[in-house]
Amino acid sequence: MKPAKFEYHKPETLEEALALLAEYGDEARIIAGGQSLVPMMNMRLAQPAHLVDINNIEGLSYIRANNGSLEIGALTRHRQVEESSLLVQACPPMPAAARNIGHYGLRARGSIGGSLALADPSAEFPLMAMLLNAEISTRSAVGARSILARDFFVSVFTTTLEPGEIVTQVSLRALGQSEGWGFRWLARRSGDYAIVNAAATLALNGAGQIDRISLALGGVGATPLRLSQLEQESRGKAVGGDWAREIAAQAAAQIDPESDKNASAEFRKELIEVLLAAALEDALRRMEGRMAA
Amino acid sequence: MSNVKAEDTRREGFDQIGKPIPRKEDARLLRGKGTYVDDIEIPGALHACFVRSPYAHARIAGFDLDEARGMPGVVVVITGHEINEWTNGLRMAPPIEGLLPTEMTTLPVDKVRFHGDPVVCVVATDRYLAEDAAELVYVDYEVLDAVASYEAALAEGAPLVDETLTTNLVSHQTFEAGDIARRKAEAHRIVEAKFAMQRMTHLPIETRGCIALWDDGREHLTMHIGSQAPHPMRSALAGRLKLAEHQVTVASPDVGGGFGQKIIVYREEITVAALARHLKRPVRWREDRLENLSASLQARENTVRTCAAVDKEGRILSLEAEIMEDFGAYCFYPANYLARVIGMILTGPYRIQDYAFEVKIALTNKCGAGPMRAPMAITSLVMDGTLDAVARELDLDPAEVRRVNMLRPADLPYLMPTGERLEDVTPSECFERGLEEIDYAGFRVKQAADRESGIYRGIGICNVVESTTYGSAFYKAAGIPGSGHEAAWVKVEPSGSIRASAGLMGTGQSYETPYAQAVAEGLGVDAAQVDILLGNTDIAPYGMGARGGRGATAGGGTLFLTALDLKAKMLDIAAALLDLNSASELEMKGGKVLRHVGGEWSETGLGLGDIARTAYLDPLKLPEGMQPGLEMHRAWDPPQMTYSNATHICQVTLDPATGRIDIDRYLVVEDCGTVLNPLVVDGQQQGATVMGIGGVLFEHMVYDESGQNLCGTLADYMIPTACEAPVIEIIGQHTPNRRTPAGIKGMAEGGIMGAIGAVNNAVNDALRPFGVVADRQPLSPDYIRSLLRGAAR
Amino acid sequence: MSKLPIRLTVNGDSHEVSVEPRKLLSDVLREDLRLTGTHVGCEHGVCGACTVLVDGAPTRACLIFAIQMEGREITTVEGLTPAEGLSPLQQALHEEHGLQCGFCTPGIVTTFEAYLRENPDPTEADIREVLAGNLCRCTGYQNIVRAIGKAAKAMREGATT
Repeated sequence: MKPAKFEYHKPETLEEALALLAEYGDEARIIAGGQSLVPMMNMRLAQPAHLVDINNIEGLSYIRANNGSLEIGALTRHRQVEESSLLVQACPPMPAAARNIGHYGLRARGSIGGSLALADPSAEFPLMAMLLNAEISTRSAVGARSILARDFFVSVFTTTLEPGEIVTQVSLRALGQSEGWGFRWLARRSGDYAIVNAAATLALNGAGQIDRISLALGGVGATPLRLSQLEQESRGKAVGGDWAREIAAQAAAQIDPESDKNASAEFRKELIEVLLAAALEDALRRMEGRMAA
Repeated sequence: MSNVKAEDTRREGFDQIGKPIPRKEDARLLRGKGTYVDDIEIPGALHACFVRSPYAHARIAGFDLDEARGMPGVVVVITGHEINEWTNGLRMAPPIEGLLPTEMTTLPVDKVRFHGDPVVCVVATDRYLAEDAAELVYVDYEVLDAVASYEAALAEGAPLVDETLTTNLVSHQTFEAGDIARRKAEAHRIVEAKFAMQRMTHLPIETRGCIALWDDGREHLTMHIGSQAPHPMRSALAGRLKLAEHQVTVASPDVGGGFGQKIIVYREEITVAALARHLKRPVRWREDRLENLSASLQARENTVRTCAAVDKEGRILSLEAEIMEDFGAYCFYPANYLARVIGMILTGPYRIQDYAFEVKIALTNKCGAGPMRAPMAITSLVMDGTLDAVARELDLDPAEVRRVNMLRPADLPYLMPTGERLEDVTPSECFERGLEEIDYAGFRVKQAADRESGIYRGIGICNVVESTTYGSAFYKAAGIPGSGHEAAWVKVEPSGSIRASAGLMGTGQSYETPYAQAVAEGLGVDAAQVDILLGNTDIAPYGMGARGGRGATAGGGTLFLTALDLKAKMLDIAAALLDLNSASELEMKGGKVLRHVGGEWSETGLGLGDIARTAYLDPLKLPEGMQPGLEMHRAWDPPQMTYSNATHICQVTLDPATGRIDIDRYLVVEDCGTVLNPLVVDGQQQGATVMGIGGVLFEHMVYDESGQNLCGTLADYMIPTACEAPVIEIIGQHTPNRRTPAGIKGMAEGGIMGAIGAVNNAVNDALRPFGVVADRQPLSPDYIRSLLRGAAR
Repeated sequence: MSKLPIRLTVNGDSHEVSVEPRKLLSDVLREDLRLTGTHVGCEHGVCGACTVLVDGAPTRACLIFAIQMEGREITTVEGLTPAEGLSPLQQALHEEHGLQCGFCTPGIVTTFEAYLRENPDPTEADIREVLAGNLCRCTGYQNIVRAIGKAAKAMREGATT
C-alpha cells in the first residue's frame, strides 16, 4: 500500500493553482485534507500524475456571515466548523454534522471543500449542503461558477466539477429565529459512515401548521436527496399526532434504495421512516426551545 | 536431585505470585522505544511485495514478468516455478480417521484457490519500487467456478477446491457415548436449535512481517519475525527450506498482537527466506492491511445444530451436535483441529452423559482458516443457547433450566462423556454469584414493566468452561498431532542477577512481569530482580509456544517449577556454607537465606549473592558431587486439560425500530485459579470479552457468491471502538487446580466464549415478545430488523 | 521522478532529508529519521496508530506526504516523552495497565496529549468518543479510558500547583 509516483505542486495563490490545473487537466488532482484521497492513492485506486496541494493558499479558510447567508471557505477544516460559534448560533446543523464526521484525529485535517467534492452519498456535509440550499462556488482558469447543491451532486463520488475547476466556498442559508432542525443517523459504529442519515428543518405559522420545511436524506441513493415535492405537500400540515411519522412514511414510500453488504434496501427504507421522523420531532422540539428562549 | 512436582506446589499464600505489579515492558512501549519487526534497521535490506490473485478460483495459464523485471530498483521477480524448487511444500496428513491428506506448494503454479492467493514475489530496493513493479506483473488466468460457502462446497457437482481430492468434504468424524435413541424415546420433548458464527479474522494492529538474513559463510538463516511459537516455527522453516534446525534462528521482537494469527509459518515468509538465501542479501517484508484482511489466516465460520432430548423440568437427557465448518482453501492446520475440540468440550459445566457429535469440514475458495483466540468459542453459545431454546419451548426460566442441568460441587470431579475430566472448577458458585450480583430476579420485574412501555430489555447468561492448557494427553485423546509440554531455564549469575526464559513468546499478553513473578516466587527473591528473555530460539528452550490460555499455566508454571528446582540447589549450597547436614530448615525470602529454629524464621546472614559467588567462583565449597554454576533447565507436560470457568451475564436494550442493540451492563464472574498478576488477568479478561462482543455484533469477513472478499479495509471489517466497548465488571474467584504448579489454571480465551453466548442470549431474550430467534451472527441492525419484519408483535 | 531535498522540523529538531514526493510522512519518520515510535497499522487512516501532531493537531502520518510538511512542526511520541521517566499520560497508562501489545499506544499518546490540552476535564463519554479514532485489539479500552481520566486529573492538579 504505497502510492504511485506523482509530481508535487505547492501553489501559493489560487491563480497559480488554477494555472496548474488548467495545464495538467485530467492528470491533476487537488489535495486539501487528503483524508479520502490519500487512502485511495495508497491503494493505488487513484494515481494522479500531478498533485496540486492547496493547503498553502491563503484566504480559503473562513466562516463568515454575509447578507443572511453563511459562507465557509473550502479549506476550512471540520474542527473549525464544529467549533464555530457563528455556526452554532446561526446554522447549528453544520457544527452537529461536523462533529459526526469520522473521529477527532481526522477532523483537524479534513476540509469542507474536499468533502463536497468527494460527493460520498452518505457523508454529512453533502447532506447538509442539500438541506441548507448550499451554493458551491468554484473557480477555474476560465472563470467562476456558482452551483446549487442539487445540481452539484451527480452520482456516487461524482459531481459537476470540470477538470481544472476548484471549489472555493460553500454558502448556506442561516436558520430563521423560529426555525428548528434535526439530524439523525444510524451507523454501525461510532465514526462510521451512516447507513442512512436524515436531516430536517422546520418552521411553523401562527396556527401551528408547517410553514417552512426542508427534508434531506443520505445513504439511500447515488447522491444525497432533497425531498422538495414532499416539502411542498407538507406545507400547511398541522404538527400533531403522528405528523412526523406520516411525513417520514411518505418519504420512505417515494425512495428506492439499493442493497449492499451493510444493509438491505428494505432496511434502508425502514430507516428513512424512523430517522426522518426522529429528525422532524427533534426539529419541532428545538423550534419550541428557540421560541421559548 | 529430584525435580519438584507440580502437584506439590499448592500453598495458602504467595509472596510474589498474585501481586498487581505494573508491567516491565511498558517503559519501552510507552516511550515509542519498543522494537517491532519493522523497527529493526538492516542496512541494504531488500523489500518484497506479493502479487495476489484477484480471483477466487482460476487456472494459471502463464506469467509475463519482463516489464516488471525491467523496472528500476527491481532485483528479482519470481514465481512458484523457482520458489517451489528451493523449498518443500506443506503436507498435512496426520493419521486421523476421516481426515483427507492435503498438500500445498510454497507458491501455487497451477491454479489459485482464493482471492488473495500469492502468486508472484517482487523484490526491489524499496517497497515503493516493489509495488510499482508489482503493478506491471501480468498473470494469465482462466477463471474457474468457485465455491464460496459450506453449502456450495458440498453441493452435488461442486467444483473441487483441491483437485487431488474427490470431494470438498476434507474431514468427517463422529462420536457417540451413551444411548441417544433410548433417551429420545424417554424424552418429554425434543428441542432443536441452530447456531452460526460468521467468518472472522484476528486483526492484530501490527500486521505480519519478517526480515530474513542469510549468512552465507556460516550457512545460517536468521529470521526476525513476530511469532507466538518461535521453536515450532523454526522447525517448520528449516523443514520447508531444506535446512537443518541448527541452521535457523527465529528471533521474535516485540509483537503487536497475534491472537493465533502468528503461530504458523506462512507461504510468504518461506518465500522471503528462500529469496534471502538465494540472493545472499537480506530481504524484508511487511504485510500491508489489505493483505492481512485478505490472505492472513481467518477463522470461525462454523455452524452447529443441536438436538436435545429433555424432560419436563428442562433436564437434558441426551444431546446431539452437528458441527460444520468452512475451512477455506488451504489446510494450514489439520482440518478437524478446531471443530473436534468443540465436540469434545461442548457439554461444558452441565451434567450430560448421553452425547453424540458429528464433525464435517468443507474446503471452499476462501482464505484458509485456523485457530483464532478461543477457537472453540462457539461451544458456550451452543450449550447455553440450547438451554435457552429449551427454556423457550417449555416456557421455563432460563436460569432455572441451567440450574437443573448444572454440575454441583458434589458432582466433581466429573468425567464428561468424551472422557474429559472436570475438577477444581466452580460453575455453580460463579453462576449463583453472578445472578445475585446482577439482581436477576429484580431485572425480570423491571424487564416486564419496561416492555409495557415499549422498552425491550434482555438478559443473557453464558456459563463457560474454558479449556486453557492442552497437555500432550489431550492431543493424543483428540487425535491431533502435537505436544503440550513447555520448557524453561532459570539462571542466577555470579553477581546474583537473575535471568529466565521459556519457549512461549508474548504478542501482547504481558508475559514479562508475571513470569518474573513466577520465577521470583520459586527462587524466593523480588520480581524486580528477574529479567525474562523470550522469543529468540538461540536463547529460549524448545517449548510449544503461546496458544490457547496456556501462558500462565504452561509458561508461568514451568518457570515456577524450574525456579523451585534451582532454589533447592541454592539452599543445599547455603546448608553447606552454614555447616548444616540438610537444607530442610532453610528457606529463601527476599534474596536472604532464613533458618527455621525454635518456631521462628531468622536470618542466617547468607544471601543470594553469597550463594551465587560460591557456586561460580568458589566451587570447592560446594557440597560434594554438586556441579558448579546456578543454571536449571526443565520441561513440564501439563495434565490432559486444565479448565477455568466463568459466568458471563449481559443486559441489553433492543431498539425494535432500528435493530440497534445497546449493552447496558456486563458482568463476569471468573475462576481461573491462582493468578500470577491480577492486573494482567483483568486486562486479558476485558480484552477477550470485548473481542467476543466484536464478534457477536460487528465483525464479519464477507465474501460474495463468487468468492470475492468484500472486506478490503478496516472500514469494512469492523472491530469495536471505545464507544462500542462496555465496561466489563469482573469478580474473581480463585480455586486452585490440584495438578498444576501453584494451582494456576490460565485464562484469556474464556472472555470470548462468554461474550458471544451472553450477548446473543440477551438479544434473544429481548426478542422474545416478538417470537423470533437470532441464530446467526453478527447481530447487525439489518439482521435484527429482518427478523422483526413481519414478526408477531 | 527523483528525490527532492526537504526540510522537516520534528520534535523541535530540523532535519534535511531527500525523499520522493510520494513518500508518506509515516515512512519518512520511520525510515529516514529512524523515529520508529510512529507505528503503521493500516495505511488508510482508520487505525490511528500512526497519529502524530502537526502544529499541535493530531494527524494521521499515513495520510500525508512528508513533502507537504515543510514549514510545519511535527511532534511524535518520542517528542512527547520526557528525557527521564514518563509523561503524566504515559505514567497513567502504565499504572492502569492501559496497554498490552503496545502497537496502538503511541497513536493514543499523541492524540490525547493534544486533546487534553484542549479539554483538560473530559467526561468518560468524551474520552471514549475521541479514543474511538484509535483501534486497539488487546485491551477492550477500559483501562485506557481509566488511565486517560487519571492523567487528566493529574495534569489538572499539576497545572494548579
